[in-house]
Amino acid sequence: MRPILLSGHTRALTQVKYSKDGDIIFSVSKDQIICAWYAANGERLGTYHGHQGALWTVDVDPTTTLLASGAADNTIRLWDVKTGKLLKTWDFGTAIKRVEFSPDGTQLLGVTERRQGHLSTIVVYDIVLDVEAEQADEHSLRIVCEDSKATVAGFSYGSKYIISGHEDGSVTQWDAKTGELLDSAQIQEDDMQITDLQWSSDRTYFITASKDKTAKLVAANDLRVLKTYVADTPLNSAAITPVKDYVILGGGQAAMDVTTTSARQGKFEARFYHKIFEEEIGRVRGHFGPLNYVAVDPQGKSYASGGEDGYVRLHHFDRGYFDFLYEVEREAEQANL
Amino acid sequence: QDFNKKNLANRAVVEHRRRLLQEWRAWREQVAEELEEEGVEVPTYEDKDAAQGETIE
Repeated sequence: MRPILLSGHTRALTQVKYSKDGDIIFSVSKDQIICAWYAANGERLGTYHGHQGALWTVDVDPTTTLLASGAADNTIRLWDVKTGKLLKTWDFGTAIKRVEFSPDGTQLLGVTERRQGHLSTIVVYDIVLDVEAEQADEHSLRIVCEDSKATVAGFSYGSKYIISGHEDGSVTQWDAKTGELLDSAQIQEDDMQITDLQWSSDRTYFITASKDKTAKLVAANDLRVLKTYVADTPLNSAAITPVKDYVILGGGQAAMDVTTTSARQGKFEARFYHKIFEEEIGRVRGHFGPLNYVAVDPQGKSYASGGEDGYVRLHHFDRGYFDFLYEVEREAEQANL
Repeated sequence: QDFNKKNLANRAVVEHRRRLLQEWRAWREQVAEELEEEGVEVPTYEDKDAAQGETIE
């Protein structure tokens, strides 16, 4: 795999996202700037300026028209992808830790941070997928997370559920129309924060990453844990690859949490596991600090990792990656012919 | 004898993987049926590739 180093950010990366057709990569960082890059060659396409605090999250709608971002300046902002123009700002009492569009792009959710006097919430806005349109001022739905604060959230298939991941290692399933709490499950270790939640391409299942050093594959409709991937370091991110049945995990101990230098070595790697067999297949090194986010091209051609070291590393998969099959997979393929 | 043991262990691993793969595929089929019943359309990357294949430029 040939890596391309995307350098442009001056501080730690927090999230990286691909456009649906896999052409453009958006990255956000504590340096308060959003960058857009061509996935083909890593060339920087543009930047989006305006946030007055560390950026925590970014997402792009499925038509690559609107970009949403959330930051420590307590705002969610909506941008015109093409021109970089700021279209809308929503203000909150606390920081925004996660934004995500619904599968059809007509809704946007935001996860707000908890602070004294503010409970953690999930807010939903109706979105008009047009850069000329006036966007709603008021949310269409607001869910208050009373038990444990939400750290991540997203929409399932058909925008049927909102699934949130929490500080206490649980996931919650909400009715995406009414906000009613439908189900909850303690899928990670108690009080081990869920740091990421990413969907399969059809959004019928998702993967969570946790500080408990594991990632779990979970069914959206009944919150059943389908698979567990065991790592040897706290995880910040996990992604499901299309085309191939793999998952990619990223994490690493922050320097301040590590007492010896030896414990740091070899931990800043993207780890590939077989999605169905739960076995580790390989690792990709390169970052000089923990991996804060791993994102996969929806078309399955590449993946990108955002590091605490301030770099995005973009890897295009090579032939060997696509050709690799377990014996039983080859068997099954031949049986299908 | 050692060789036999190893062979048995390998076969057990392969059997285990085969079972996991079957379970996974059965579950995916079940989910696909449920989605169809619910009338939910889920565009996947395969659909997109197929659509692209039809455009003639």
